[in-house]
Amino acid sequence: MDFKTYVEPTGREHRPPTPVKIVISGGFGVGKTTAVSAISEIPPLSTEAAITSVAAQIDRIGEVPAKTTTTVALDFGCITIDRDLKLYLFGTPGQDRFGFMWQDLSRGALGALVIVDTRRLDDCYPAVDYFEQIGLPHVVAINCFDGVLAHDLDDVRWALAISNDTPLITFDARDKLSVRDALLAVLRRTRDHAKERMLNRYRT
Amino acid sequence: MTDESSGIGPPSASSIRPYLARHGDGPAQQADDGDDPNVSPLRPYLLTAGRSEPIDDTLEIEAQVLTNQLDAASAERLAFEHRDIVTLCATPVSVAEVAAKLRLHIGVARVLVADLAAAGYLVVRRPSSGLPEDLDMIEKVIRGLQDIR
Repeated sequence: MDFKTYVEPTGREHRPPTPVKIVISGGFGVGKTTAVSAISEIPPLSTEAAITSVAAQIDRIGEVPAKTTTTVALDFGCITIDRDLKLYLFGTPGQDRFGFMWQDLSRGALGALVIVDTRRLDDCYPAVDYFEQIGLPHVVAINCFDGVLAHDLDDVRWALAISNDTPLITFDARDKLSVRDALLAVLRRTRDHAKERMLNRYRT
Repeated sequence: MTDESSGIGPPSASSIRPYLARHGDGPAQQADDGDDPNVSPLRPYLLTAGRSEPIDDTLEIEAQVLTNQLDAASAERLAFEHRDIVTLCATPVSVAEVAAKLRLHIGVARVLVADLAAAGYLVVRRPSSGLPEDLDMIEKVIRGLQDIR
């Protein structure tokens, strides 16, 4: 039983759907909230989470004023797949100094979409590093604000130093179908991972 | 300490319940950093009777919460945030939505939801643990997304 407080329902409808989630990550102002708004069936919501004292130590000295307690906005949206299944999209807080929250966000996630702005490539390093470390299937998506990619994809892959098997795609965070396709790329990656693991289990 | 967070003064007296005042009107602010003036000035421990850890501190922010109809009537006896949550969850929402719509800190929402679930007011559906390897589930999400036009 996954739902510990589950009480025998009076009717079939009285049963909440199973939640699944995909993490939307990337640097500050790269289009995470835009992407969530484009496809979410509810206006993206924002909630507050506290920065713990542990996280406060991660702050880069000099970059953050002498403020030890602060809160961080967490943006999210959702898509109803069917009556029993709801997909949540959680945007990681913009600055890498909030990285501690990613553990919470990534736990149980199907995968992650790392959004990249080619003008600020290095902003996405923390995200890519983190997902590689914890083994969460992810796709790197270049947000082409004007629909045109000014660089060669291979050049970007080289500059990002991402592994060859990490999918690198382009998309437009403002466009619903484009965001849908980016999320599908993540899920296909998740599916491949799940199949690989299953095969590995059979082998051993 | 001149930081505004050191203020222990009385909370600003608002007679409007948070979710009535700003119930999902328009997209959330883009601001990625804190200091949102709309967040309740009440210190979190006032809402959670001094506890900061939920009964089940692993409750996921995407966990689905639904009011248990058996107990909807007795919800009248609940006070403040507890009653707001029971009212809000008449249709299934996530813990994150409870926090956002009631303008509660996510940690506070976790505690309150866990309490209400333990008391039988709410039904909670948590994500299944083996999810990332559940091929049927993954295929189902893929098909669902493909249907989006």
